[in-house]
Order: sequence, then C-alpha cells, then structure tokens
Amino acid sequence: MSPQRILVVDDDPDIREYLMAVLGDHGWQVAAVGDTSAALAALEQFSPDVVIVDVLLPGRSGLDLLVTLRRSPRWSAMPLVVVTGVDQLLKDDCQSYLGTHAGVAGPDAVLGKPIDPATLLAVLRTIEQRRSPPPS
Amino acid sequence: MRNQYLQYFEEMPCYLSVHDRDFRIIHGNKRFRRDFGVEGEYCYRAYKGRDSVCDGCPVEKTFAEGTAQISEQTLRTRDGREIPVRVRTTPIHDEDGAIVAVMEMHTDISESKRLQEQLAHSRQRLAQLFEEVPCYLSVQGPDRIIQHANRRFRETFGQAIGEPCYRIYKHRDEQCIVCNAQAAFRDGTPFEHEEVVVSADGQEINVLVTTAPLRNAAGQVEAVIEMAVDITQIRQLQSQLTSIGLLVGSISHGIKGLLTGLDGGLYLVNSGFERGDQGRVKKGWEMVVRNVDRIRSMVLDILYYAKDRDLEVETVNVAGLVAELAEVVEKKAADGGITLRFDVAPEVGTLPGDGKALRAMLVNILENSLEACRSDHGKSDLRVTMSVRRLDPWMVIVVEDNGIGMDRETREKLFSLFFSSKGSKGTGLGLFIANKIIDKHGGSITVDSEPGRGSRFVIRLPLEARPSTRPIAAKTAMAPIVSGN
Repeated sequence: MSPQRILVVDDDPDIREYLMAVLGDHGWQVAAVGDTSAALAALEQFSPDVVIVDVLLPGRSGLDLLVTLRRSPRWSAMPLVVVTGVDQLLKDDCQSYLGTHAGVAGPDAVLGKPIDPATLLAVLRTIEQRRSPPPS
Repeated sequence: MRNQYLQYFEEMPCYLSVHDRDFRIIHGNKRFRRDFGVEGEYCYRAYKGRDSVCDGCPVEKTFAEGTAQISEQTLRTRDGREIPVRVRTTPIHDEDGAIVAVMEMHTDISESKRLQEQLAHSRQRLAQLFEEVPCYLSVQGPDRIIQHANRRFRETFGQAIGEPCYRIYKHRDEQCIVCNAQAAFRDGTPFEHEEVVVSADGQEINVLVTTAPLRNAAGQVEAVIEMAVDITQIRQLQSQLTSIGLLVGSISHGIKGLLTGLDGGLYLVNSGFERGDQGRVKKGWEMVVRNVDRIRSMVLDILYYAKDRDLEVETVNVAGLVAELAEVVEKKAADGGITLRFDVAPEVGTLPGDGKALRAMLVNILENSLEACRSDHGKSDLRVTMSVRRLDPWMVIVVEDNGIGMDRETREKLFSLFFSSKGSKGTGLGLFIANKIIDKHGGSITVDSEPGRGSRFVIRLPLEARPSTRPIAAKTAMAPIVSGN
C-alpha cells in the first residue's frame, strides 16, 4: 500500500520542518506550505489524504481554508486537523464558531500547540482507520 | 352693645393696646395684660424694659403722621420670653378729628419666623450641597445656556455661567448632534449616557451624565439639571485590564508557537544523533538557536512595553548606530538569502536621542522588512535597504524592502497594539513599541506599501532634542507587570 499523503499548512518554517520530520519518520508522505493560497494550489498538485492547518496565517486564515474546503464539492470530505496556539479555538469552541459563523462542519480534530507528536500520530491513525476500515 | 365690643376687645387672639401721647398704655386686652402687665405703664418699659422711647416707635410715628403703621419688632414678656411680632398701629380720633390715642395690635409671628429661618437654612443647605457635591452639576436653560454650575464644574470647565454647554463641554461652536439635555426638555424624562468631554485645560474626561427636567409650579420644564460623574479612572483601568488580557493572550499564543519550534529543533537533533545524520542534527540545532533568539526578542519587547520607561537622551553617533544594526541583522538577512544594504550619507553626524531605544526601534523595523522578504516565495532577488540622510531639521531614515507588502487594512493597523500580520510569528508588540519610541523622540513614521511590491518606512527624527509631550496614540500605558530587568 502506498504511503498516505499529508499536507501541512503553517506559516512558521520551523514548525513545517518539524512536522515534515515527525510525519516523514512515521511513513507519511508530506508536503508543507506557508499560507492558504499555497495550500489551495497544493491540494490540486499533491492530492493529500489529510490536511493539517494552523489557524493564524498571514492573509486568509486557516479557518477560512477550512470553510472553503467544507463548502467545495470536491474537498468537503477532506479530513482536517487544526493545530493552534489560540486557546479559544480549542475543542468545542472551534466547532461552535464554525457552526455559528460559517454553517459548516468543523475539523476532524483540533490540537493545541505545542504539538505532542504522539497525540498527533494517534489522531492521524484514527482518521486513517475511519477512511479505510478493516475488512469485516 | 358697648359691653359686647369690650368683650370682643378683651378676647381678641392677639395683643391689643391703646396708647396716649406719653406712650402710656391706657388699655390692654386680656392677653396683653397677661404678658405685659398692668395698664398705666409706659409701653417702652412694658415691652423692652427701657427708660425711654424706642427708636422708630410706631406709636410715635402714628401720632406724628396720623396714619396707620406696620412694622416688625421683638417684645419681651414679663416672664422674660422674647416674642417676634408684627405690629400694626392705627390712630384714634376724637369728635374734632384730633388724634387722642393710638391703638396697637401685635400678632405673634414666632411660628412664621421659625419657618422662615428653617426655609432659609434648607435653602442654604441645598445650595451648599449643590456647590460641594463631588461631581459636575449644572443647570441649563432651553437655549442651552448654563445658568448655574457648582464649584467642581467651575474649577474644571472654567466660569461657564452664561455660556452654551457645547462650548464649555466640547469646545465646539455648534450644538452637538445628540443632546440629552434637549431630550430631557422635549420628553420631560431623565436621560443617562456616557461621553467624553474636554476640560478648560484640554484634558479629556470620560463622564457618566444624567440629565433631569426641572419643572416650574405649573409643571412646565423650564430648565434641565445635568449631573456628570468623572469615570476616567474606571475607563483607564478597564482599558489597562483589557490590554493585560490581550498581552497575556498574545504572549501565551507566541510562547506556544516558539515551544513548538523548540520541540521541532530538539526532535531533529535527537533523531539526527540516533541515525548518525549530521545534516539533521545541524538543521535541528539551528532551529533551536533561532527559537531561543525569538524568545529573547519577545521577552525584550514585553519588558519594554511593561516598563514604559523614560528616554535616556544622549548624543547618538548615527553611523555607529547603523554599524551596530548591521551586526544584529546581517546574519538573519544572509540566512534568508536577502540582500541587505546600508546607505549612510557621510555627513549624518549625531542625533540627540536614547541610543538603546533607537537601536531597538530600528532593529524591529529592519526585522519586520526581513520577515516580509522571507515570507515572499515568488521573488529571487529579495532586498532590504536602509538609507540615512540629514535633512535639516530632521534625520530621515528610510527602510525599504521588496517583500510581500501590505494591504490597506494591515497598513492602517500596523502600529496598533497586538496587531500582527505575521500569523504565529508576531506578538503584535514590535511596531507598536517602535512607533512609541519615535513618538517619544518627537518624530514620525509613515509607511507606503502595496501587496506583492514591498514596503517603504520613512522615519523622521528631530535633530533638536524635543521629547514629545503628546500622549501616545494608543493610550495603553500601564503599570509594570513584569518586575526587574
């Protein structure tokens, strides 16, 4: 089975480097970009299976990207993991924000920074299993 | 019939007496005799214990002028009580029309006197309360002219009586668009609102204003009383608390990003060692160094913001200052593949200012420009240029880059507290502090920028020492929240 593809969207080059290393070491094929426009281009070229997105980005925010994907017929089912240092956006708040302001389903998971690699990998494994359930 | 009149005379509920020309009391009614003694006595002796006629004696005046008199006096009774009375006298004529006696009627006005005194006292108390109440009190007519103002109002807004309220409160020549005093006239009900007024010496004061109609006896509103309570300190504290909240949120967000960067560096170092991959170790270590550096500069920003220190003005060698800047930022420029150029005219000389603060300000602006270049992935020839010229009366410093540039919203909010366009990398403190430093030096900063084309910051610093006394744009100076250095 070919490795799963993951797209990382974060404006901090160090965090991009970090996630590329961690995820690459665990068998993922990773592409990383620094803003929302680059992410939209990468979706076309890279065809990821999962997107990890930061919230505060220069220009259009990560939540803006999330809303764009959820409303797009092509990407609406894309598994999305939000990573953020903004406390208010953690957990239920993120979901209720999107439900109230954008009327779309929230991300598949929200993780706070600093990122715990074990938690991130566990979340990705759950998403992976949901996408390709073991044969019954 | 005569007996009946005599009985009326006797029973009259006041003091009644008849006096001859020698001021002897010929007759007195029952009440008079009870309190002032027997008939035949001189009235001045009976009333006041005197040995001669009183000054302005109404009896004397009635004999002299032949007309009735009214006056007020105080009498002393036989048992020593003093009674304020209204005195009415009338002449008594004989058949030939000559005045043979004077009838005097004293009405006890003790109660009315007491009420008058009580009323005067109440008025005085009310006037004193109006005068001394610790808020701004004024009364305005329908023409918006201030009719009365208490002491605190006059002390703060000057001698306002006779002036229109909008001139006194707002230093305007036209009435305000929304006026709650006028609303109180119109609707006859009290109103409450908050606004900012300006004192006679130009200080802005936040006030909570209550206006209430004052009605005349007919129930018509003839004036409006306005009570304004100074809530400036409360608003300042609220603003400071909001700032502290924003600062804490901003710091917390920034630190989480930096910790993630440090975690990343450590991960690369550790996994590099495990695999014997020197390239990965080097990359990880550089990441650690970079994030420690970012933490250091963030802490310095926070300390500067928290301390709001005064300038330590000295004579700054501008060429030397630029050389120091070059040392700080050259490596960062080289790491990002950015060409950094300093263009300092030979005659720039010196500048009065706080060297450390100016250095911090210029490092901030240069780093901002370098960051704008680092974020631009579409250009191969990224450049940051700093030029310094002495253009009397200014030292003009221009920092120009061809990085990502800024849209209008970013340009307008650029120097605001906690605004950052750098996503997770900005604390929103850097340019706010830079602007504050320039402002304290009496200088100015402007920015031209366009998305995709880059930005151009122009800083003007005065060549003559004149630390600005203007308040800084964002009034968020606060008590230190971080102690020590």
